[in-house]
Amino acid sequence: MRWVTLLGRIGTVILAIGLALLVFSLIPSGAGSQYGWSQPIGPEQYMLEELWVYSPQTGLQISMESTDNVHVYLLGVSPVEHDNWRTLLMEAYPDSDPHLVMFIYSYTVPLLFFHEAYPEQPFPDLFGPQTQNMVWNVTVLDKGLETHPEIILWDPPQGSTFSHELFPEDVLNMMAVVANPSSNTVEVDWKVKEIAAVASKDRIIVAARLLIPIGIALAIPWLILRKVKRSTF
Amino acid sequence: MRKGRPFLEIFTYALDEDYRFPILEIFAFLFALGTFVFADFAPYGQTEEALAYSLVSTLCGFPLLFIFVFLILKNVAYGLGGDLEKGVMQTLFSYPLKRRYILTAKLLSGLGIAVLLFFGIQIFGLFLLAPDVILTYPSTVFLTYAAQLCSPALLLAGLVLFFTLRLKRGGLAVVIGVVLFLAGLIVSGFVTSIAYGTGSDLSLKIWAVINPNSALQIYYYNMGMVGFAPKTWVPSFSEVLLYLGAGYLVVAALFVVGYAYFDRRLEI
Repeated sequence: MRWVTLLGRIGTVILAIGLALLVFSLIPSGAGSQYGWSQPIGPEQYMLEELWVYSPQTGLQISMESTDNVHVYLLGVSPVEHDNWRTLLMEAYPDSDPHLVMFIYSYTVPLLFFHEAYPEQPFPDLFGPQTQNMVWNVTVLDKGLETHPEIILWDPPQGSTFSHELFPEDVLNMMAVVANPSSNTVEVDWKVKEIAAVASKDRIIVAARLLIPIGIALAIPWLILRKVKRSTF
Repeated sequence: MRKGRPFLEIFTYALDEDYRFPILEIFAFLFALGTFVFADFAPYGQTEEALAYSLVSTLCGFPLLFIFVFLILKNVAYGLGGDLEKGVMQTLFSYPLKRRYILTAKLLSGLGIAVLLFFGIQIFGLFLLAPDVILTYPSTVFLTYAAQLCSPALLLAGLVLFFTLRLKRGGLAVVIGVVLFLAGLIVSGFVTSIAYGTGSDLSLKIWAVINPNSALQIYYYNMGMVGFAPKTWVPSFSEVLLYLGAGYLVVAALFVVGYAYFDRRLEI
């Protein structure tokens, strides 16, 4: 009797967990955050936008339109590698200027590319047009991507309209890059939407389908016994 | 009669009282649903380890933790308080068993089963949602759960145990426990403000002894923040372990006081 009760209660708990998973699988995925912006990019310049940290469960959907043909990349750097690069840059530019620290923090990848392209170049004027032109030059980007091809997650051919959905295989700091190889300024419109993985829901449904019958099978003898006992007394 | 048999008798009785059908099933349903609904993969830290911490923290975030703490408080306060009020405790004392074993059997049911249920479902959920997290960072997952279990769950259980024995009333002890839980949430916000305002990390350190999760949180959220000098205290990993140990010592002290009171001072 005690064994039937024990197994029965374990069964009802398993059934409750299975039902909870089933209920969860019926809840539609919530729309993630969405944001967009417009930006002009000068001739032979590029822009980089730090998106956020994405994982195999949290991906992104990106769409872009530009007034002329541009080159688009989605880059992904592991947080650990990102940290290492920041440390390397801090050591390369041992300047206590808080603006520089902020700049390194916000634009680690472009500054690393710049540092690798011009290892001896100091930062005479961080916000001066000359330095800015050097940092954001397409040649610097091309050299940087040649040195670190492993960070390129998406590299479509040149065009003016792009749309892509991506779930990184690991947890990665994601960046969107647009390079303007032409001699005219282009206007770029971006939209980025966070999306949740559906894969985990598949696993949840499988688990629910497994737990519910196990729970019912274990609970039935106890529930029958309980009913018989009640009707007897 | 063997010593184990009366212990098992009391344990079975406590199980029947604490988890009448369908109380256990309702809590299992809420724990399972909450685990998946509140899972948030948005990372707040800069490293993968910090991501693992933030994921586990969201799994046992406020609404679910409150339900878990409420189950523990209900079991400890109502389970014991009800027995004291109804005179059942006198019957239990007639068993050939030392008082401390009777309390252990009651706590094993009220506290042990609740902890087993909650963390069992959480680990199962984590395996379904992000198996790589639990396999890559088992120590981070373990530490986060250990910190969450220490405070508020076990800390409040220890306090409510003492209040129940002292007041001999379960209802009031539950109310005190819930008030303390909510007060803890408010205080955790104040502590950070005080630390920022005064520029002293003393308040954060004191709070870290009571709530070791705060030290763990500061440690992981500042992990990988290169270049920015933290404005307040950031503990090292060994300090985090020290605060976690101190937190468990406080919890152990509370339970020792509860046991000593139950063993020697409780008059029925």
